[in-house]
Amino acid sequence: MGATNVISSVKAELGKPSSLQPDKGKVTIYVDCSPTAEPMFEGRGGDELSMELSVALQRCLLGGKSGAGAGIDLSSLIVVEGKICWDLYIDCLVISSDGNLLDALGAAIKAALSNTGIPRVNVAVGASGDQQPEVDISDEEFLQFDTSNIPVIVTLTKAGRHYIVDATSEEESQMNSAVSISVNRKGHICGLTKRGGAGLDPSIILDMISVAKHVSDQLINKLDSEIAAAEADEDES
Amino acid sequence: MEYVSPEGLRLDGRRPMEMRQIRAEIGAVAKADGSAVFEMGNTKVIAAVYGPREVQNRSQQMNDKALVRCEYSMANFSTGDRMRKPKGDRRSTEISLVIRQTMEACILTHLMPRSQIDIFVQVLQADGGTRSACINAATLALADAGIPLRDLVTSCSSGYLNSTPLLDLNYVEDSAGGPDVTVGFLPKLDKVTLLQMDSKLPIDIFENVMQLAIEGCKAVANYIREILLENTKQLEYRRGL
Repeated sequence: MGATNVISSVKAELGKPSSLQPDKGKVTIYVDCSPTAEPMFEGRGGDELSMELSVALQRCLLGGKSGAGAGIDLSSLIVVEGKICWDLYIDCLVISSDGNLLDALGAAIKAALSNTGIPRVNVAVGASGDQQPEVDISDEEFLQFDTSNIPVIVTLTKAGRHYIVDATSEEESQMNSAVSISVNRKGHICGLTKRGGAGLDPSIILDMISVAKHVSDQLINKLDSEIAAAEADEDES
Repeated sequence: MEYVSPEGLRLDGRRPMEMRQIRAEIGAVAKADGSAVFEMGNTKVIAAVYGPREVQNRSQQMNDKALVRCEYSMANFSTGDRMRKPKGDRRSTEISLVIRQTMEACILTHLMPRSQIDIFVQVLQADGGTRSACINAATLALADAGIPLRDLVTSCSSGYLNSTPLLDLNYVEDSAGGPDVTVGFLPKLDKVTLLQMDSKLPIDIFENVMQLAIEGCKAVANYIREILLENTKQLEYRRGL
């Protein structure tokens, strides 16, 4: 987005589901800030921002602790209930940072997931009780991940008395507070994060949410058309 | 395992003396003073240069030349198996040091005393030869930043498997356990500035392998020079000259 440049990748590994949710797969989101974006990210400098972004993304895209209400459908990742599930590792890298990282990361993750193909797994029949069943991972067939319900994140930054969408880093340096809202295609809010110390009147927050819903509509449509165009290019080449 | 087939083809279909396809792009990171993306086959690396700027740590300031710092990091998703720790592990620290020493030798540091030049290299996709790709990317990024250089530094790796010297090893060939020679070369001055090898080689074969790597470096240098000329033409055009 503008001069902000992020890369997002999805890797899938077979693992064991957690005992609390035996019918759901697991997703881990990790953001790394590369020093190419900012010299101060070198060494451990970018760790704080990375943690903040990772947690904000997890809050927006995955559900609460019980796993309910996740933007990403975790039950589609299960292979054998209680024994084998897919672990998705979503890794993001911030290459160039010019403000509005959360929105860019959310869009990148949505695009990466729509490009993800989970290989079909054939489970050997006749595995008893506690034994790990044998799995045969097919190299040929892929199941496209369903991304129609994945939310996008829209960040509204309040500077003075106005709020702006998609702030550059110059604009972000002047902000009092920012609200990041993740909205899915149905217009439902999937997560909300408020940053910054200035207090906000509750009516302003409600107004911001409705603005975000309106903007997210445009963003989702634009994103989907870009993703479709990119996939068409990929199929051609 | 057969790394070179009887017809003389390697695992990815190349001839023993053939390099992988190179691709470079200048100015990938708008915010940095200079940046470049460099691809050698499937290995993709991005380099950003910030500088010359004021020294952050006063105690390290040098009164007669510039301080050069470098950091090498690999993205989590760059290798086949997901890496846990992107930076700070021993291999990354060693490669950071190697790149720093190589670039420091060719930057005219005495022209910029009391300043600092930061070179950050990030590996996006690793398929063997990351060290060489990083040095090539750093050279391009430094040129893009307009930092005075003695000469371009180019780098290439070569090895020796199935009794054949091979140029530009990829990951599979590199992990085969045979020798891996990395050479950093200054094309105009015709001098070798970086030389690393692991495993063992008889001396006469080593000379051949090193010479092959130097030829690879010269080929990379030609390509880099073309890219820089093309970039300068673009800049001239945009300025309306």
